Amino acid sequence: MTDYNERPDSEELSDDERAILSELGESRRKFLGTVSATTFGVLAAQLLAEQEILANYRVPEDAVFAPVAEENAVSVTLNINGTKRALSLDSRVTLLDALREKLGLTGSKKGCDHGQCGSCTVIVDGRRVLSCLTLAATCEGKTVTTIEGLAKGDDLHPMQEAFIKYDGFQCGYCTPGQICSAVAMLDEAKRGQLSYLSENIRGKARAVKLSDDEIRERMSGNLCRCGAYPNIVKAIREVHTGTEVAETWEFVKEGVNDAAV
Amino acid sequence: MKNLDSKSHVRGESVYLDDIPVVEGTLYACVFDSPVAHGKLRSVNTDEAASAPGVVRVITANDLIGENQIGGILPDEPLLANGEVHFCGMPIAVVLAESDEQARAAASLVKAEIEPLEAIVDAREAFAKGSLIAAPKRFKLGDTEKAFESCAHVFEGKTRSGGQEHLYIETQGAYTLPSETGGLRVFSSTQGPTAVQKAVASVTGIPMNLIEVDVTRLGGGFGGKEDQANAWAAICAVSTQLTKRPVKYSLHRMEDMRMTGKRHPYSSDYRIGLDADLRIVAYDVVFYQNAGASCDLSLPVLERTLFHCTNSYFIPNVSAVAYSCKTNLPPNTAFRGFGGPQGMFVIESAIAHAADALGVDRDEIQRRNLLSSGDELPYGQIVESEAREAWSQADSVYDFATLKKEADEFNKTGGHLKKGVAMMPICFGISFTKTPMNQARSLVHVYTDGSVAVSTGAVEMGQGVNTKIAQVAASVFGISIEKVKVHTTNTLRIANTSPTAASAAADLNGKATQIACEKILERLNEVAAELELESWPPVGTGSGGDRQIGPPEGETPNWVELVNEAHLRRVNLSEHAHYATPGVGFDWSVAKGHPFAYHVFGTAIVGATVDCLRGTYEFDYVKCCHDFGQSMNSAVDRGQIEGGIVQGIGWMTIEEVVYDSEGRLRSNALSTYKIPDVYSVPDEIAIEALETTRPNLAVFNSKAVGEPPLMYGIGAYFAIREAVKAFDKENLPAFDAPFTAEKVLMNLHRS
Ligand code: FES
Ligand code: FES
Repeated sequence: MTDYNERPDSEELSDDERAILSELGESRRKFLGTVSATTFGVLAAQLLAEQEILANYRVPEDAVFAPVAEENAVSVTLNINGTKRALSLDSRVTLLDALREKLGLTGSKKGCDHGQCGSCTVIVDGRRVLSCLTLAATCEGKTVTTIEGLAKGDDLHPMQEAFIKYDGFQCGYCTPGQICSAVAMLDEAKRGQLSYLSENIRGKARAVKLSDDEIRERMSGNLCRCGAYPNIVKAIREVHTGTEVAETWEFVKEGVNDAAV
Repeated sequence: MKNLDSKSHVRGESVYLDDIPVVEGTLYACVFDSPVAHGKLRSVNTDEAASAPGVVRVITANDLIGENQIGGILPDEPLLANGEVHFCGMPIAVVLAESDEQARAAASLVKAEIEPLEAIVDAREAFAKGSLIAAPKRFKLGDTEKAFESCAHVFEGKTRSGGQEHLYIETQGAYTLPSETGGLRVFSSTQGPTAVQKAVASVTGIPMNLIEVDVTRLGGGFGGKEDQANAWAAICAVSTQLTKRPVKYSLHRMEDMRMTGKRHPYSSDYRIGLDADLRIVAYDVVFYQNAGASCDLSLPVLERTLFHCTNSYFIPNVSAVAYSCKTNLPPNTAFRGFGGPQGMFVIESAIAHAADALGVDRDEIQRRNLLSSGDELPYGQIVESEAREAWSQADSVYDFATLKKEADEFNKTGGHLKKGVAMMPICFGISFTKTPMNQARSLVHVYTDGSVAVSTGAVEMGQGVNTKIAQVAASVFGISIEKVKVHTTNTLRIANTSPTAASAAADLNGKATQIACEKILERLNEVAAELELESWPPVGTGSGGDRQIGPPEGETPNWVELVNEAHLRRVNLSEHAHYATPGVGFDWSVAKGHPFAYHVFGTAIVGATVDCLRGTYEFDYVKCCHDFGQSMNSAVDRGQIEGGIVQGIGWMTIEEVVYDSEGRLRSNALSTYKIPDVYSVPDEIAIEALETTRPNLAVFNSKAVGEPPLMYGIGAYFAIREAVKAFDKENLPAFDAPFTAEKVLMNLHRS
């Protein structure tokens, strides 16, 4: 079996190597195998534990296999989180699957695969898109920003900071989509893009100041089953207005048991 | 104290089941499930699927090496259909292929010849035909027959409450790997690692000690991954066993919705008797629970319906009967509240009915009948009640009278908008009602660098349980929480776990962690004494009265040095502790006992505005006074309240699970099943903590908070109903939840 750590980046592969890889089942995500050097740091920390556990696993000699060939292969080059990534993939593969299965960028989540939940939201050329409804092949040459690309090293994006500050999540599964959506949504507002609730729909586009209702309207495509909505709105409002959102709630005896760290 | 996962959540680095890197050679599973709700399975033809591209094997019931059985409570749930199909979505065959896409494509090529039999989808119909999961359960207090005779007012009626899809944003799934000596490693998105381990053991015939189940965290559970996670893990396990390859199955949303059970729909009959002072003297109730095709958790859910059938009220004469009716729907299961909300909806409806008929305010009857400490509940437990305190605090802090007056004034002005206000008190028992489940274990290691690793049976699913457990360890040791890591839930480290459910995980696992840490601390302090150092932790930290955490100022002796010294002296720095809730027990032979460690109380005021032309509505506010005991993590607990309220409102209003008469799920995607979006949240959610210092059995006195707030959502139903009544006094909507906009509209303009 291949030693995963020594797996070359898919970018660096020769055509022959690529063909061999694809026979081995390149269509599946191999852990760390296809993760580039830049994303390695981010992913390594979270994957290392699993890697150690799984690395011991060997497929038994008598395991059953079926041949796999990549169908409808196309080559696509995407600019993902600041790095050019050349991919060979089935033309029917969605951007979400390309990110998750081919590039090891599992931050974008699959909640429905039907464009109905928003958890797969990423930013393509500055606009938020549902990556489950976007074919990877249509993103040729485009700039894709995923949740993994928002922070600069240890410095979180202001939206990420705000989500932490206001506890804009519980289970965290919808969070990457919420944050990507919110980041691009505020840019839309800056560009003067209108929404269903916009009052003035004539005249030149200019930066829109968002009310809470506007924020809700524009974020209504991102579902959160844990119901962290109130805090999500607060977080977005703070980033949008730059002013702290008053805490409207507190325990009568706040902090009696509350551990301050 | 922030949720410990905050950083990784916002960076997209938190690992969920579908994010676990797969190893070379992994196969992908896809289930072929029954398109028919009930029928004889004449034959299954897998030839075409087996020869489809990438397919390695197709598995049917005959291939199983172990038993074809995953029922947790009753052995009535085959993993794969054999001979008969019992619901639409019942797994019949499993296709294994080299890729996810190939598995899905091939699954559609499996053919089953099914001779349809009559399908039952309604609980009352099942009851009429004698189709029950088990014998009915009964609670009895006083003598209702006699009591009704003396009542000034008696009313009777029917109610219905619908199902609810869990819709955890992370769908169900599992990933299994073969391990040496014929064992299995199972990654599962489950609330019950031990339940998964048992189900896997059953279908593979592999003993439990060779099955390792590991859970990092869930992208939501809400009860839906308590027993319903078993099937997918079992399917992967069997597949790994037969192919010797790792197998992954992460369900598509529509598969998940179609194949898994939901909150139980109930249909109920009530009879309520009041005296001239509006005191409820007698209450008779019959519940018909739609259990679906097999037991799953239906019986304990049914029991909790009975436990909460009188909600927050003292009623001296109660007779309650509950039938778990077997139908041809997917096996319904746990959902936040676990049958409690269904029971509460009926008593609240009965009270509303009485109020309507007597021309008094609903809250007048509610208030007069609230529980007091010392009252006996229908199941024999003497309650330590905060019901009246919570009610009056909500009443005064939020000025209920003014809220009501404002709504009345508003409604007088005419127009097509009407407002309704409703009070909703809750009382929810904490503990598993099955007493043996009230136990937990925690494994704590202190390493020589001073860092601490904790493992428990609790599963993190957004409720912040790991954060609370880390707080417990940090607090007992008097060290910074950064030094504590709560690890994955793993059956090799912690055996025989109870599922993370019943709101009890933080209590049970937190207490076990507390015990483990205290034992280690005791040993450390013996070392400190030998060294003639002050005891650890220094004054101001530790497990005493306050929970301040953090490296103490001017710490002597140094934690790391003390730990090292202890290690050199060959002192055990690890502990595996056990906790069992004291004093709980229940005797079903007489249906009496003391099942709950304590109760959580609270009262919410819900305000709604209904558009009487369109039937649409909005919630202006939910203002509640909630009994936290003494919250150990206000951020986490507040999130649970807000989330619970939103989910409860969803259940009562927009979430409508629809099966057609042939048992096919019609609300089978997010396009046809609405869950609350950011718009459906009340404009204002106000939370006030009940002032109470009464000691309780919760960890650090911080009461369980997962389920209770969901039941505030019931107030939403009655707030809408008040608004509908304000539009047309004569109009008294039937008690039929969810109150969808369509239903509201139809109620507004009947005739
Ligand atoms: S996964 Fe793309 S919208 Fe749900
Ligand atoms: S945080 Fe759980 S779905 Fe949003």
